Amino acid sequence: MSAMPAVVAINTFREAVRDRVLYNLVFFALMMIGAAILVGEISIGIERLVIINLGLSAISIFGLVMAVFIGVGLVYKEIEKRTLYSLLSKPVRRWEFLVGKYWGLLLTLAVNTSLMTVGLAAALYYVGRPFVRADASILVAVYFIVLELALVTALALFFSCFSTPMLSTLFTLGIYVTGIFSSDIREFGNLTHDPWLKTATQILYYLIPNFHNFNAIAAAGHGERIPAWLIGQNTLYALLYVTLLLVASSAVFSRSNLK
Amino acid sequence: MSSYSQTRRPWAILAGVPLLFGAIGLLQSRIDAHTRTGSEERDELLLRSDMLVKKLSLGYDPLLADIYWTRAVQYYGARVGIPGTNFDLLWPLLDITTTLDPKLLVAYRFGSIFLSEPDLAGAGRTDLAIELVKRGIAANPDEWRLDGDLGFLYYWRLKDYPHAAAAYLEASKNPQAPPMMKMMAARIAAKGGSLETSRLIWSELYESTKDPTIRQNARKQLKGLKAQEDETNLDAVCDQYRQRFGRYPSTTREMRDAGLLNGIPVDPDGYPYVIGADGKSNLDPRSTVVITPLPKTPPETN
Repeated sequence: MSAMPAVVAINTFREAVRDRVLYNLVFFALMMIGAAILVGEISIGIERLVIINLGLSAISIFGLVMAVFIGVGLVYKEIEKRTLYSLLSKPVRRWEFLVGKYWGLLLTLAVNTSLMTVGLAAALYYVGRPFVRADASILVAVYFIVLELALVTALALFFSCFSTPMLSTLFTLGIYVTGIFSSDIREFGNLTHDPWLKTATQILYYLIPNFHNFNAIAAAGHGERIPAWLIGQNTLYALLYVTLLLVASSAVFSRSNLK
Repeated sequence: MSSYSQTRRPWAILAGVPLLFGAIGLLQSRIDAHTRTGSEERDELLLRSDMLVKKLSLGYDPLLADIYWTRAVQYYGARVGIPGTNFDLLWPLLDITTTLDPKLLVAYRFGSIFLSEPDLAGAGRTDLAIELVKRGIAANPDEWRLDGDLGFLYYWRLKDYPHAAAAYLEASKNPQAPPMMKMMAARIAAKGGSLETSRLIWSELYESTKDPTIRQNARKQLKGLKAQEDETNLDAVCDQYRQRFGRYPSTTREMRDAGLLNGIPVDPDGYPYVIGADGKSNLDPRSTVVITPLPKTPPETN
């Protein structure tokens, strides 16, 4: 297998670091420090819960913003700066470039998420509770966020292959929000008496990525055990969807006229 | 531009920025004084639909639940003990909180107390408090404490002893529940309201809560129960005194001098009890202890 995607991925990661993308960690750290200090003053008996909910939500929101806004510019920026042409003149196939870009951003997001998780653990330690076995669910929740980000990045990359960054952002966020409400869409279909509408909402339910699957923040906050089968199924779901989107992105990008 | 003015520029900025911020702060306080951006606006709850808030939370419902719970606590804290205030938004805030996070136990446990406290101490809505706790039990069937809280509401607020006993019995079925739950169920079923049971219930609440307001109230109730117990005992001693001397004593000192008391009993605030002309003991007017009387007979329940 070609090592080219890995080379592109590492360079994408380096570029992100150079662009000071990881500076968001400073804001995250300040927020967690502030929350850890203030939370005891304004809440009763839920200091740990607030820190977990706030930390995981922030990890998810920060990651999503990065995945969408950097993801939609991954290809577009290279075209605009005309660096893509010199790159593709070398023995790099288009799909290799695309997959490399994807893994590069995912690596950036993974590093970012890992560092934020360390910050969350520090804040939890500060509010004064030793770590227990149930806290493993926090790590599972973080893993689910990474899976979610992998999917959102793939979506952003897919749209950026044939659209402008502005439209790609709108499409990606639109699919993300729809994906959160996918079960409501299916429920809406079940409530109607129109068989066509019912079928259409069923198809839509399975077609749109179900982002609700990856939400384990509540379970982590309450120290509930997340079953292994759910971890396995979510991993497989994200893997299949990402593969599908990367194949589609490569197909579109390989056929697009870059002139 | 001269080098002198260039070296002075950073100092001018350093001095100018705080000055500008100060002016902005002053201006905002003036604007606040002339507009209703103060407390009235904070009383509004933009979204009252719990399900709508849950949908709009876009999956971040646990964090939003924490925010709503904090808001409920602050709302309650800002109104408790203030004459003429109302707790109209307390129920919607708790409703939204528990819809967003049905496993947020503190919202059920403390929220039910905020709702059920009478007079200035809460909303005085025991019906809503019971609804809240029942919702909590449905969402968290393994939490015996919620059954205990339901028992407390039936026992203390409604004096509904059959339902209180049933709730404590339900709590006692949980293997993690302390033996006290079963004991309280049996005691309430057998005797209805009693000082001993009331003391057990308030002690349990005092020990289990971290909230200073609830803790303070529990301490107040425990003081009242202690005074009530002292008065019951003193009334009995007054009767003994009358049997011996043909009249009621006018002070506890007389009872001590007659050898019926070992010392002069004082209430939890440290004031001696006052004996009335009818031979009934009362609290000293200076005492802050409050006695909530228990009904002699349980009311009928359906």
